[in-house]
Amino acid sequence: MGAADILSFIIFLPAVVAFILMISTTKIEDVRNIAFITTIITLLLVMKIYLNFEPKAEMQFVTNISWISKYGINYYIGVDGFSLTILMLIAILIPTSYLLLWEGRTKGYWINMLLIQTGVTGTLLSLDIILFYFFWETMLLPIFLIIGIFGSGNKVFSTIKVTTYTMAGSLLMFVAILYLGVSFFNEYGHWSFQYNDLTTLTNLSANEKLFLFLAFLTAFMIKIPLFPFHTWITATYSDAPTGGVFLLSSIMAKLGVYAVVRFMIPIFPDTFVQFSDWFVFIGIFGMIYFGIAALMQNDIKKMFAYSSASHLSLIAAGIFSLNSYGINGALYLIIAHAIATGGLFLLIGLLHDQTGFKTIKDLGGIAKKAPIFTFMFAIMLFSNIGLPGTNGFVSELLIIFGIYEFNHTMGYISAVTVLVAASFMLWMFQRAILQERVGDALPMRDLRIKEIVGLAPWVILIFLMGIYPDPFIDKFEPTVTHYINNFLQTGVIK
Amino acid sequence: MIDQLIYLMPIVTVLIGAIALMFQSMYEKYSIRDFIFVSSLFLIIALGFAIYHFGDLFTTRPFNDIFNNVIIFDTFANFFNIALLSGALLIVLIGEYYAQEHSYFKGEFYAMLLFSLFGMMLLAHANELITAYIALEIASFSVYILVGFDTENSKRVEAIFKYLVLGSFIGAFFLLGTVLIYGATATTNITEIVQFINVSSSEDLLLVYIGIAMILFTFLFKIAAFPFQSWVLDVYRGAPILVTAYMASVFKIAIFSFFLRAILSDFITLSTFWETALIVLTFITLAIGSWLAITQNIVKRMLAGSSIVHTGYMMLGIIALGESIESAYSIMFYLIAYLLSALGAFGLVSHVIADTKVRITYDDFKGLGQERPYLAALMTIFMFSLAGIPSTIGFIAKFYVFTEAINAGYAYLAIFAIIATAISIYYYFRLIAMMYFYPSFADKNVSKSSDARISTFMIGFVALLVIWGGIGSAIVFFIPIPSIDGILSVVELSVQSLFLK
Repeated sequence: MGAADILSFIIFLPAVVAFILMISTTKIEDVRNIAFITTIITLLLVMKIYLNFEPKAEMQFVTNISWISKYGINYYIGVDGFSLTILMLIAILIPTSYLLLWEGRTKGYWINMLLIQTGVTGTLLSLDIILFYFFWETMLLPIFLIIGIFGSGNKVFSTIKVTTYTMAGSLLMFVAILYLGVSFFNEYGHWSFQYNDLTTLTNLSANEKLFLFLAFLTAFMIKIPLFPFHTWITATYSDAPTGGVFLLSSIMAKLGVYAVVRFMIPIFPDTFVQFSDWFVFIGIFGMIYFGIAALMQNDIKKMFAYSSASHLSLIAAGIFSLNSYGINGALYLIIAHAIATGGLFLLIGLLHDQTGFKTIKDLGGIAKKAPIFTFMFAIMLFSNIGLPGTNGFVSELLIIFGIYEFNHTMGYISAVTVLVAASFMLWMFQRAILQERVGDALPMRDLRIKEIVGLAPWVILIFLMGIYPDPFIDKFEPTVTHYINNFLQTGVIK
Repeated sequence: MIDQLIYLMPIVTVLIGAIALMFQSMYEKYSIRDFIFVSSLFLIIALGFAIYHFGDLFTTRPFNDIFNNVIIFDTFANFFNIALLSGALLIVLIGEYYAQEHSYFKGEFYAMLLFSLFGMMLLAHANELITAYIALEIASFSVYILVGFDTENSKRVEAIFKYLVLGSFIGAFFLLGTVLIYGATATTNITEIVQFINVSSSEDLLLVYIGIAMILFTFLFKIAAFPFQSWVLDVYRGAPILVTAYMASVFKIAIFSFFLRAILSDFITLSTFWETALIVLTFITLAIGSWLAITQNIVKRMLAGSSIVHTGYMMLGIIALGESIESAYSIMFYLIAYLLSALGAFGLVSHVIADTKVRITYDDFKGLGQERPYLAALMTIFMFSLAGIPSTIGFIAKFYVFTEAINAGYAYLAIFAIIATAISIYYYFRLIAMMYFYPSFADKNVSKSSDARISTFMIGFVALLVIWGGIGSAIVFFIPIPSIDGILSVVELSVQSLFLK
């Protein structure tokens, strides 16, 4: 197995294991253990990639094999600074999340978790846009099943809603992809859907570009979600099972942002620059809007759904701010937010399983019964708010710098609104966890060793990335510079 | 002699098989298993003869002094023969369980099935309008009888009469068109008509154009496009589900085989004459099909309604055919993809309802995921493929058709078709939701019979083909299996054979 094949192995190992588990009649404990070992093997392989990765701008570990040769569609995967960071993130988050989901899951749950892992890593690593679409759609199917089968509440409605919503967006993007491919064919006389080929397109008119840009953006805005395509999140996040919410919020939402950077900036640099004002504005507006919405929620899961949307809006604003502060900060916040939100959703899942409540007014007195739980919860919360010393602080600071450089007023606004997030988070923490509960104490056990071990790497990362960010930023900084020099500058000139 | 005869063998074998089955069904002592065995034997032999020429590029007119140019044997027809034979074979084998559980399946059923298949194969070879008409009627009349086979179904009379009356009526249009064309050109041979069209001025061609319009009515009726779609739901519902599957997939392929030949050989010229009308019809077909599919509560009718939507996608390809010939490949690929997915879906429904006599609604599928997890998983694969989700052959097929449509400059049609696809996700995914998201009925009599039988193995095989067609060899590049490029190159070869002189 050559170095380049490792990436394919990372993508497909979980799916292959899932299919084997599907047709075998293994005991549920063994299914879980095998799934966990699979994710650990994946993590080791990703670490190998991470250590062998040279901090340069170009794609590394590239595999490029013809798939449908008539239309020039290739199995084209590779990794650069952006995707490497997120790849590492996924590989660390998933196995540790298994430790927090350890008890009381069925076989189908673990199989779906494995399939989702294949979906997200495939989406992350594909460089051929059809291959990207292939994984992008495929990763939705296990999510569909996991919410529908293992969810709670009005789960069928939520499932159908989220599926039709995201599929409709993706299908719009699909037409745009085909249109790009056809334009490429008309200009160069042969078919190709590789992203670096599509960047060389010159025959699109401004109008065509605008429509294609919007088609792509709609798909990604639904997935992220950005205002006004966010209406699916509350129902989905509150009805989905813990594992599903965790994957949706901390990984799949980030892939939306990633896709904007990977495909939209290189393919439509000038449209991107031209409309950046609007999207920074939408980002900041969304941040305030979702922040206020979160303040109003009584259901903790819904509150974090909005809070997560609020942070993702900030990330989007950073991406659209067109400078290295903003984009670096956005990437850094992707990681920080994935860790913090993922952790919070898993902890809330535990809380919900134990006490049977997920509404703020019914909860209380958790701190006394479960001190370690409260401690972990607090760390994740502080990172989410962006307290100095945590990784959230570094990334939010960078983004606010970026937005400030882009437009002073918007910079001021974004700096102030970060406070909103702090207010609702801390208020919730005080009411649901710290404050004494009126009436009987809730049944709540503290974290087990396994769960503490699972969360430990995240806590370490939160502080390490908060205090000493250089080694992390170094991995993707060259790619960001490359992007800004090659695409955004040309966009400005055009 | 022998080398000419070998070209005729597939179609002759089917005919002999049909007659043999008819004689066999006169004897009471044969059980339904024997008929299934005999009919699949003939089909496999015919398939073997057809595959004998697989991959060759040829066009020939064996025994031309007898047939006088009315039938052509070429790679194009051979491709369709293989598709038709495999489709019929799959229907026979997948329906094995259903046929044994329902007493109305007699030996004649298989005889009629093979007769209709004979008609369809003849249609794929036809190069002359009268021959095409006869072949079409052989196929249609056999199918009329097949539609009425379900004596347990009170809707069958409505189904058979609706289909018989409307079908015969529309058949008359075909004849009328032929007459008009003959009046203008003094020939019914397609090659000669094309020559006439090429040398004549447009005033002389008025009759020919009207004739072609009449013939296209038949085409639109048989593929169930707007405004000739209203028979579909009732006929599909009244027919035994195996026949429904047969009509939705195999019969449609046969219709396309003739009309693709007619269009590709410039007999029916779309770009000048029919484009606007077809665009409008495609819009409405997609809209009406989606509407019909959404509003159904019976799964069989939903599949019937959605088959209209798939017709709409294929019409998209037909319109694009006016601009580039490449679009023919996409239609042919789509036909294959739809054949596999629809056969799988219909077959699986037939298997599930074989031992229960209930009218099968969405609600009846509740809890299938727990009771019969493997069947539910297979059904999920077929639904994904029909909805065009990546990693199934349905996605690749949609990709081809939409790409060709955009390439021909019909981006707005592609967008409309994509909207239809988005809607289709709702009604296909609803079935998956029913199977997995609800507990099963407590009082539902769970079948005790084993699922390990020919029909389930065939359904599983079809599901494998569906997945293979969606992934091909690139992603599993470490396993040396042929890629989906293979299908495309076969299709390309078939179309090339039309232009051999």
